[in-house]
Amino acid sequence: MRRPPAITGLHGAGGIRIVTLDWKPVSWATVVDHYAVYADGTLIGKTVYPHFVHRGLDFTGVTRSYSVVTVDAAGNRSAQSAAAAVANLTSVTISGTPIATVGTFDGKGSELALSPKGYAEYPTRFPSDVDYTFGTSTPSADWSYLLPGPGDKWAGTKNHRATFRFDLPAVPEQDLDLALWLIDSHASLAASALLTINGTEAGRLTFANGATKGSTIADSTYPGSPLKPSYLELPLPKALFRSGQNVLEIFKDQGSWIAYDALGVFARR
Amino acid sequence: MPSRRTFLQLTGLSAASVTLGIAAPTAADATPARPIPDGAFALGVASGDPRPDGFVLWTRLAPTPLAVDGHGGMPAGEVPVQWEVAEDSRFRNVVRRGLAIASPDLAHAVHPEVRGLRPGREYFYRFRVGTQVSPVGRTKTLPTYGEQFTFATASCQAWYHGYFAAHRDIARRAPDAVFFLGDYIYEYGIVAGDNLWRAGVTVGPEHGVEIETLEQYRLRYSLFKTDPDLQAAHAVAPWFLVWDDHEVQNNYGAANSLYGVPPELFVHRRAVAYRAYYENAPLALGSLPQGPDGRIYRRYDIGSLARVHLLDTRQYRDPLPVDEADRVSEQRTIMGAEQEAWLYDGLRGSRAPWNIVAGGVVLSAVTDDRTEQWDGYPANRRRVLEAMGGAGTSVMLTGDIHRHVASELKLDFADPASRTVGVELVCSSVGSNGDGTDTDAYAKDWLQHPYMKLYNARRGYVHSTMTRSELTTEFVNFPYIQADTNAQPNVVARFRTPVADPRLEAL
Repeated sequence: MRRPPAITGLHGAGGIRIVTLDWKPVSWATVVDHYAVYADGTLIGKTVYPHFVHRGLDFTGVTRSYSVVTVDAAGNRSAQSAAAAVANLTSVTISGTPIATVGTFDGKGSELALSPKGYAEYPTRFPSDVDYTFGTSTPSADWSYLLPGPGDKWAGTKNHRATFRFDLPAVPEQDLDLALWLIDSHASLAASALLTINGTEAGRLTFANGATKGSTIADSTYPGSPLKPSYLELPLPKALFRSGQNVLEIFKDQGSWIAYDALGVFARR
Repeated sequence: MPSRRTFLQLTGLSAASVTLGIAAPTAADATPARPIPDGAFALGVASGDPRPDGFVLWTRLAPTPLAVDGHGGMPAGEVPVQWEVAEDSRFRNVVRRGLAIASPDLAHAVHPEVRGLRPGREYFYRFRVGTQVSPVGRTKTLPTYGEQFTFATASCQAWYHGYFAAHRDIARRAPDAVFFLGDYIYEYGIVAGDNLWRAGVTVGPEHGVEIETLEQYRLRYSLFKTDPDLQAAHAVAPWFLVWDDHEVQNNYGAANSLYGVPPELFVHRRAVAYRAYYENAPLALGSLPQGPDGRIYRRYDIGSLARVHLLDTRQYRDPLPVDEADRVSEQRTIMGAEQEAWLYDGLRGSRAPWNIVAGGVVLSAVTDDRTEQWDGYPANRRRVLEAMGGAGTSVMLTGDIHRHVASELKLDFADPASRTVGVELVCSSVGSNGDGTDTDAYAKDWLQHPYMKLYNARRGYVHSTMTRSELTTEFVNFPYIQADTNAQPNVVARFRTPVADPRLEAL
């Protein structure tokens, strides 16, 4: 038996519920069947790419030791690669204190308007798009489960905006955090949206491509669910906020729809 | 005792051809070091890439074809496989014998290349491993002159959508060759209650995910190749195979996936997909992929009757057009510059009355938004039609659309008065899309054109008889395929195409 070479350059980055791993593949001289990926000595998946995403982790950060074994076309296995220690991130929904939220951070969008598959009614139910006031509006009536984009014919092939209003008793002393969780998104056109706080651009939100199933299925948590959830969390500078009503806007000016799990603004403890 | 290297030099074999299952030193021990489990030939036998003096033989040892690791239940070592070719089905007159080494690197597939045979005649072949003997295959060498040549064309065999009545009928007719025009496998997960329409079968969860690794591609070939009708069609005639998209991933082109895999990653997927394709097809060594690249465009002469050009319209294609200016750009190519030059040289260089050009996707103009096929590459199409116009009459063979379509190839599709340079015979699918119906909502897109002479949306294959003066084509379909494999064939249309005045004359 000839052992194929092990990969080199294994490194990783933590995200919410995920760790993304990359490495340098072996040369084409080795016909690779797949790379077997291990976390703390346990096989967690196989991939043909020099890239793997460890999914389904908890919302609290844990450091794991990752390594990769090359399996060649004959079934021969390399030695374990050098290990890389990588931690997933702790979600602000765990580490922070909620200020204003819509929906529940639970992998399901069923508590939101038009869920699970009422997207065709969006133009008549939300002719001026979503405008939601925390404390007054209700998720099941006022927050559409999908935010359409200009790529969606059913929503008029135009840009769409979701407006989220909430009160602050005072200007915050520390930066706040945004949590925007999706149960799914379009498989190739999730694209991005512009984030605005009180009229000031606060950056562009780039969404992970999903499975294009969340427009008709609300639950990403049951075994075998075809949905591909994703999690966006980012800091919001305290200087953007003011005492009284604050307005957060997500302007979907690229690509197709996203399907919400929940959205929230969190204070740091 | 001579070293392995010296021995190979003495016997005139290259080390590559030994390790790749093409040939072995005749003195090599033909007895496996360990017994091979029963049923080693469960995936059948095949032949392909015929020449006037020979062909490629194929088998892949797999006593447990659906073993999840893709190795078919074979032990890890190398195994000697004997083959023999005879002039009669009882092997009384064996004319060639040989030995090939099946190695785990190629999933225990062997591809012996047989030479030194007589042109234009029938041969029979079989393999032996240990005490096990394979089923007998029938094949033919190409003629050197060529009075008449019969061939079937087939494509798109989604195993999970139904039974392969088309292959059963191809096997019954025993044509001189079979053209398979792509989508031999599909990469999708196979899930009961979703896309598993083949009545009475169940599959394990390992088949329920989109395939990505070499072991998964190997397993998918094994699953499809367990079909006895497919094995019968392989065992009856030499095949000319080209791939389309689903041998890798739906609608991919070059290194571009439509499902968000970046090109620098996607080439690794293409490498294992091409590898598994070679392992499971009767292809000559020239088609063995090197890394992510595999050359499958190639040429054959059916004597002086026809030249065959097999195209690869996936590996070298430009991305989908970004706008109309891009779509109609002169620079756009579906074949790549090198393959284009090769085709035009090959068309110019033949004095045969016919050219058979076989590719994955439809050449004829349908609608401008069908950018996945040649409608997305009109400049390349114009160059091909012009080259066809300067050569013998062209017979374009394609598939992909799961419909029977017959079209007259116009030098300029926009000008109905322009010369007809040949015909395009688009075969429906063997399995994909299940039972089907005679017509459907897409029919009007095709039949709006005066050069389109047939549209039918049931499953089937095409059978053609080529002589030096004319081509006769039968479009065969089946009333159903999902329930079982017993549906009877129905000839939905017959056409005559005179070589001197190409057209589709309904018979």
